[in-house]
Amino acid sequence: MSRILSTFPTVWRQIVRAPLRSGLTVAGIAMAIFLFTSVEAMRSGVHEATSASAEDATLIVYRENRFCPFSSKLPQYYGDRIERVEGVSSVVPMQILVSNCRASLDVVTFRGIPADDVERTLSDAAQIVDGDMDTWQKRGDAALVGESMAVRRGVKVGDRFSAAGITVYIAGIVASDRLQDRNVAYVKLPFIQEAMYRGGTGGIVTQFIVTVDDPTSLDTVAASIDAEFARDEHPTSTWPEKAFTGRAARDVLELVNFASWVGWGSLAMVLALIGNAIVLAMRDRIRDHAVLQTLGFTGGLLAWMVLMEGAILGLLGGAVGAIASVALMMVGRFNLTMEGVNIEVAHDPRLAFVGAGIALGLGLLAGVVPALRAARAEISEGLRAV
Amino acid sequence: MSLIECRQLTRTYRRGDQEITPLRDLDLDIEAGTFLALMGPSGSGKTTLLNLLAGIDRPTSGSLVVDGREIHHLSRGALAAWRASAVGYIFQLYNLVPVLTAYENVELPLLLHRISRKERHRRVAAALDLVGIADRSDHLPRQLSGGQEQRVAIARAIVTDPTLILADEPTGDLDRESAVSIMDLMARLNRDLGRTIVMVTHDPKTTEWCDSVLHLEKGRLAEAEGEATTPMASESNLESEDVR
Repeated sequence: MSRILSTFPTVWRQIVRAPLRSGLTVAGIAMAIFLFTSVEAMRSGVHEATSASAEDATLIVYRENRFCPFSSKLPQYYGDRIERVEGVSSVVPMQILVSNCRASLDVVTFRGIPADDVERTLSDAAQIVDGDMDTWQKRGDAALVGESMAVRRGVKVGDRFSAAGITVYIAGIVASDRLQDRNVAYVKLPFIQEAMYRGGTGGIVTQFIVTVDDPTSLDTVAASIDAEFARDEHPTSTWPEKAFTGRAARDVLELVNFASWVGWGSLAMVLALIGNAIVLAMRDRIRDHAVLQTLGFTGGLLAWMVLMEGAILGLLGGAVGAIASVALMMVGRFNLTMEGVNIEVAHDPRLAFVGAGIALGLGLLAGVVPALRAARAEISEGLRAV
Repeated sequence: MSLIECRQLTRTYRRGDQEITPLRDLDLDIEAGTFLALMGPSGSGKTTLLNLLAGIDRPTSGSLVVDGREIHHLSRGALAAWRASAVGYIFQLYNLVPVLTAYENVELPLLLHRISRKERHRRVAAALDLVGIADRSDHLPRQLSGGQEQRVAIARAIVTDPTLILADEPTGDLDRESAVSIMDLMARLNRDLGRTIVMVTHDPKTTEWCDSVLHLEKGRLAEAEGEATTPMASESNLESEDVR
């Protein structure tokens, strides 16, 4: 082991003293791992938004056959009838206003909720990290803005900002474990209804957020709610929250699944890049290796040196690419919004370790064949090499 | 007891359908402290013999004992370890690692030994000083002249304090002045430090620095000059005399 470690400076010098070859290889790996990590961040965000868990107890009641917040209109009084359905724990009427109904990376989503329902609408783990709830309660135009949205839009407590035709005052910034909380602005229901239906009506909402007593009865309760309104003027379509997100984001899911192939392709590119760099380096070093063997380096030690070189190139490129990707996600806080539903592109620092780790592994893998060749090479043949 | 004992040493290669025997039934003893020149025409087996002595090639048959070790029986790994401790090799074309400085090239063999960095530094500095190239220690090979490169290569060969120094035409790629300087240096290593040196050469002038000269022809010993070596009076050797 000590011999392997003692050769590390030599391997490092071989890398840094061939700056063009090493630089191009590292840059190529960095770009490929950047792509892979970015796709993984997107996949991770989609997974978080759409994967149901046993604890999920939330249903979304939408207008049947409507797929956009602008077209889903339900009477607010439905809330009382939903509350009477067996298994329902609580109901929050919600009016949603988005700055853009299409899929986009920077949509502002307002969620109008009754002032009294704010606590139960937000996740239990949600916290107001700046500003306060009192201001939100007192001001009619106040908004509680999700942390990711605030970072993305560059707004802070005390600012006013306009989107989708309304102007709000930022009373607080919310940090939450729930991605929908992190990416919307909560305002009071009457304020948003007034803004949307000027000269028209209050009493209309986009959807109801329903919490059930027993998470295992989600589907049963959903069916009961839809049955309640099946013959009404405004029939409903009720979905578990994650399934609702999955339905709204169906196109994005297909896109992300396709992108995952791009991600795998980029890993293959890393393998080919490192493999190519090492094979070319080995071709140049046939004589050097023969000389090292003459000095007493064993084939095994040479193999380790080749593997180390692949690993270092992979780790360097992987770290650069993965850190750049995660940094971009953290700064940009990208959020895909479709039909008022948010899918946040993950900005988890652990992804940087995953990306760099995979590149390290691929670097080792790419070095295996050249390492074996170096280990088995005959000294006398190597010394004859030009 | 001789430092090197070759008995019936034979090396055969296959090249396509052809069988080539550059070294055939060689019997040879070399005493410790000798500076021996191996001469002979191209293809006479000089480099093959040198490679066998260095343990970078294996005999097809026969035995080779160096400093009491039967190196023809050693495994690949054991042979590498033996080379690391017992052999210093000087190439005609220097063969320094191009991306490493003179210091780092000389340090390479020491990476295989369990010694502290401080001790490594001391030995490298001493070796570079001995060959008169200490002031070029941070130069890359491409920044050195041929003579200077060969001095670095000699420093690399002696830094582990090996039993045996083998040199394959060490002056073959140098101008006259540099060649004289390198031969002076090798003679000093032999005379002052008592190193045993076996040198392959085509240049008769370089043999002036040697204690003895062996001529090889068609893989056999042709003649011996000097006293430090003992060609065994084998049938093969007599045959080679006849050939001459």
